[in-house]
Amino acid sequence: MTAIAHPDATAGYQASAREQATHWVRQLVVIVLISAILLPIAWIFLTAFKTPRDVYSISSALWFTPTFENMQTVFRDPWNLGSKIVNSLAVAGGTVLLAMPMATMAAYAFSRFDFRFKQAIFLIVIASQFIPAAVVVLPYFLMFKEAGMLDTRTALVLVNLSIVLPYAVWMIKGFIDAVPMEIEESAMVDGAPRSRVIWEIVVPTALPGIITAAVFSFTLTWNEFLFALIIGKQHALTLPIGLIGFRTERGDLWELMAAGGVLITAPMFLISLLVQKQFVGSLTAGSVR
Amino acid sequence: MTIISLSHIDKSFGPVRIVKDLNLTIEDQEFLVFLGPSGCGKTTTMRMVAGLEQPTMGEVAFDGKRINEVPTQRRDVAMVFQNYGLYPHMSVAQNIAYPLKLRGVAQGERDKLVAQAAERVELGPFLKRMPRELSGGQRQRVALARSIVRTPRVFLMDEPLSNLDAKLRVVARAQIKHLAEDLKVTTIYVTHDQVEAMTLAHRVAVMQDGVIRQLGAPEDIYNDPADSFVAGFIGSPAMNLLPVHAQGAVLQAEGGMQIRLPAPRPGALTLGARAEDMRLANLDDAHFQADVFTFELLGDCTMATVMVGHTLVAIKAQKDLRLRSGERIGVCFDPRRLYWFDQSTGARIRD
Repeated sequence: MTAIAHPDATAGYQASAREQATHWVRQLVVIVLISAILLPIAWIFLTAFKTPRDVYSISSALWFTPTFENMQTVFRDPWNLGSKIVNSLAVAGGTVLLAMPMATMAAYAFSRFDFRFKQAIFLIVIASQFIPAAVVVLPYFLMFKEAGMLDTRTALVLVNLSIVLPYAVWMIKGFIDAVPMEIEESAMVDGAPRSRVIWEIVVPTALPGIITAAVFSFTLTWNEFLFALIIGKQHALTLPIGLIGFRTERGDLWELMAAGGVLITAPMFLISLLVQKQFVGSLTAGSVR
Repeated sequence: MTIISLSHIDKSFGPVRIVKDLNLTIEDQEFLVFLGPSGCGKTTTMRMVAGLEQPTMGEVAFDGKRINEVPTQRRDVAMVFQNYGLYPHMSVAQNIAYPLKLRGVAQGERDKLVAQAAERVELGPFLKRMPRELSGGQRQRVALARSIVRTPRVFLMDEPLSNLDAKLRVVARAQIKHLAEDLKVTTIYVTHDQVEAMTLAHRVAVMQDGVIRQLGAPEDIYNDPADSFVAGFIGSPAMNLLPVHAQGAVLQAEGGMQIRLPAPRPGALTLGARAEDMRLANLDDAHFQADVFTFELLGDCTMATVMVGHTLVAIKAQKDLRLRSGERIGVCFDPRRLYWFDQSTGARIRD
């Protein structure tokens, strides 16, 4: 722009001192916010590859010889993060696989059908999430104890479903609301029964929303701590529970905890990288008008 | 081969009655146009034929068989939506093929039929594109191709041209007319554009407030309107409708203006005359005099507009005529082409 503009023409556009000040304040706020989020993560990634001695040494905060010792230690006795990763994957994966079809069906019903007390029921579903987990953790514990399901992955999947479903229904409903009614009516006129309309038309069109909800649900379940702590004992322990194991009578084993932290965050990073593609451009573009 | 009959159809949304006791039989292979302003119930009526709405009362029948309870997907109708309703995640070819896929037509046969349908609407080169990569006119043709890829019992078209620009609309209109004549399928077409209605229809049903005001061939609707609503809706420009009070051989118009014409009966009337049935005349011979309000060049003709009270009256004139605003002119009616309406009911008064 400046290259083709007449030199004099730009003179009037000099930023005032006040504008410059706002600019720098804005930059500063951004930098502070980003640091607050990213610095702890950076610290964890660095610490995961340090020896215990380097962890506490200021001089090797950034410059140190990386070691993979921690990554190997956490998979050995007594930490056994391997089995905890398997549990976490099974619980989070199972929850998402069950939650998505259920949430999509429910969201479709809330979006498209008229039934009595629809608003109230929807509100109750959402409101169920306002109850603090700490309030219901004991009833859940007693229920699963009664059912002989304590320390099982099934119990964790069930609990996580109850946490994840309301969010997923709410998120997916928003996306189904945005699917133009004409597309569905088109499909019906073309000869599709309701089930095929949903499966072949609505689901593919609302897919970005369903994927968003799936990622969100996976994250929530993957990081879930309180219920996993109460319900798990030995067989159904998940990664976040594995992490507190590094607080021992010998003190906090920061380097191992950081290695575990990397193992917890790495899949999240991978997923968000893969999913980003899904959000480029809206899928509904061009269907109507 | 389908005769559509609508008998005593009533449709209400909550307390609002959209369609009121509508009775209509659409003949086999007929092209029927529902014409009316928005909110008149024309689209709702079509949607009841498609099964996308249920009538509150009354019966929809195909070939004499009640189909109220038959769900949309089993009515074997094809519909072109105003917004086209294309499937955004499917290519053009997949969009057109979808009705065939639903009917279990084999892949090879499907490809052949899709290619034929696409060829008919000149979409051949675009089969691999996604809907979002198409222009409005191309999308409209995809919707059209999807509806003709099979032979449905009934074609339904809901303002299929209203999202196209004026030039494209003329082309698409010709295409639809050609297709309809070719395919010989009973067609219902909904529009608020009277030109589309006049050019496409075998019969036009002019609707207002959920009631069919007049049903007839386009020329009958144009030349012989049943009431002042139909008269004012059809034609471009619409028929001039002047509220007058008849006294002896003179009509008292608004603003103290006098028109020297005899009326069929005394009292409050509406005088209707089309722009092309009026002409400019000497001030002395004219039925009334007025000042030119606007003067427009339309290419093949000119249009002079005068103000009678609060009503604009358009008069078609020769193409080489030139008038200035404010100029005093005399206006004559063609006495054989006058339409009289009751001012309060709008009903036609025939003499």
